[in-house]
Amino acid sequence: MLYTLKKLVKSYEGRKVLDLPDLDIEKGRIYGLIGPNGAGKTTLLEILAFILRPDDGELYYKDIKVNNRDSSLAYRREVVLLQQYPVMFSISVQKNIEFPMKVRGIDRHKRKIAADELLAMVGMNQFSGALAHTLSGGETQRVAIARALACSPEVILLDEPTSGVDIENRAGIETIIRRINRERGISIIFTSHDMLQVARLADEIIYINNGRISDSIHENIFKGVIKGGEKGKSIIIHDSLNIPVNTVRGEGECRVSINPLKIKIIKNGGSYSAGDRQLLTGRLMQLTSEGDTVRALVDAGVPLSLIVEKRNDSISVLMVGETVYIECTEESIEFL
Amino acid sequence: MQFFLDSFKSAILLILSLDRELLEIIAVSLNVSFFSTLIAGLLGIPIGLHIAMRDFYLKRLLITCLNTLLALPTVVIALLVYTFISRKGLLGALDLLYTQKAIIIGQTILILPILATYTISAVSRIEERYRKTAFTLGANMLQTAMVIMREARFALLAAVIIAFGRVIAEVGISMMLGGNAKGFTRTMTTAMALEYDKGEFVLSVALGIVLLLISFSVNIVLNYFQGKGRV
Repeated sequence: MLYTLKKLVKSYEGRKVLDLPDLDIEKGRIYGLIGPNGAGKTTLLEILAFILRPDDGELYYKDIKVNNRDSSLAYRREVVLLQQYPVMFSISVQKNIEFPMKVRGIDRHKRKIAADELLAMVGMNQFSGALAHTLSGGETQRVAIARALACSPEVILLDEPTSGVDIENRAGIETIIRRINRERGISIIFTSHDMLQVARLADEIIYINNGRISDSIHENIFKGVIKGGEKGKSIIIHDSLNIPVNTVRGEGECRVSINPLKIKIIKNGGSYSAGDRQLLTGRLMQLTSEGDTVRALVDAGVPLSLIVEKRNDSISVLMVGETVYIECTEESIEFL
Repeated sequence: MQFFLDSFKSAILLILSLDRELLEIIAVSLNVSFFSTLIAGLLGIPIGLHIAMRDFYLKRLLITCLNTLLALPTVVIALLVYTFISRKGLLGALDLLYTQKAIIIGQTILILPILATYTISAVSRIEERYRKTAFTLGANMLQTAMVIMREARFALLAAVIIAFGRVIAEVGISMMLGGNAKGFTRTMTTAMALEYDKGEFVLSVALGIVLLLISFSVNIVLNYFQGKGRV
């Protein structure tokens, strides 16, 4: 096992930002870490990069326990973290790429040859003499990947590698990530907000929310109001959705997440009768393939994202723009 | 006004004639200022780096103390050093009093807090992200410190120039620890004070002009590097 995390806790100013019971990460694979802002993704990456120490718990790297008080050089030289907006030292692109080799005592001639090869690999060799801190976002990200590879790492951790990068550069960066995993066998763990990107790149997806691993990402997060009525309580969301709930919570404002895996598309409304509050209608806005599943975006007064298995025949006959019936039951709702 | 113009004219002529006494005084000033800045830089910058890069108990208090020391009067420093290097002092046997070395010691103490606090300020602004980057690229603590120093080089150079400007213009330490001995410890500022006491304004004005020219040059260099740092 590459990493094993047991009861890992990290707090800032008394607030737990990471609280992971158990997590295993295998060697040679691509892991996508997905979750909202402040979920603890960057903190987890920094702990895995040995530049941040957990407050509690156990971290094993290659089945060897890492002392929480030890951010030893030996570990750091096997793992490299690419920050969300990589910092380029205010020297040339070439010297930036040579830096990891220089601190490892590799001689100048070998450094130059390796840097030239890496720059060619990321398609940046024409920029070798340019000042690195003057590059654009996409160019910086490419140089940062080349610099990370100059460390000859066993693991590369990427914090939102394509945020603030245009589509052309994004595709290029994704190709580079796949190549370094396949050709060099480097294990990769990356964070992203882009579900599609994670689905495209990752062998495994880790959902993280409020510092904890969850079964799925919290999507469809809305502010709602719990109201009582003759037929029991229900949540009103943006005056558009009215979903019946059986909760002990009192009336008033709340925040909920509607699980996209638990929202169902019902062919022609199924056995529901008109006016049934669990049956919603909306317009199908988008269909996207994500591996074995299809993600559908439905405008039901509010944008609702739902995930349906490809083999489910309810999805195969749908066309974008059509009116669809969706079932949104109490089980799909999680109070945040 | 006429008196000032006459003094100014005579001073310019004195400078242009490369008067030996004038040159000696300038040389002593530059010598003590250079070495005190050099020593304070070698001590103050690593101290500032260490404070900025490490988290430790009472760090804030230490920074507050350093900031307080920025306002330390030169005569207080001179008195303190005097108690150590006077004949009866702990270091009396070294015969440092009324030498250029004594001035250098006093001036070093004067600008050490300047260099340390400016370093803390320069490094704190960039430290976190550059430290993490250097760390994750496999740098050890010393290599990381070198990276941070390189990134903060323009701000650090500005701190050194400001410190140099401070010592070359100070008078209290040079007078009390140097003794204003002609040809040995007479600096531009102590010479100006003496000439003023004697009512001889020509040399005083000439030295004032040289001092201003040095300050002006120092500020041009400072401006240049501050401009470069913004690129």
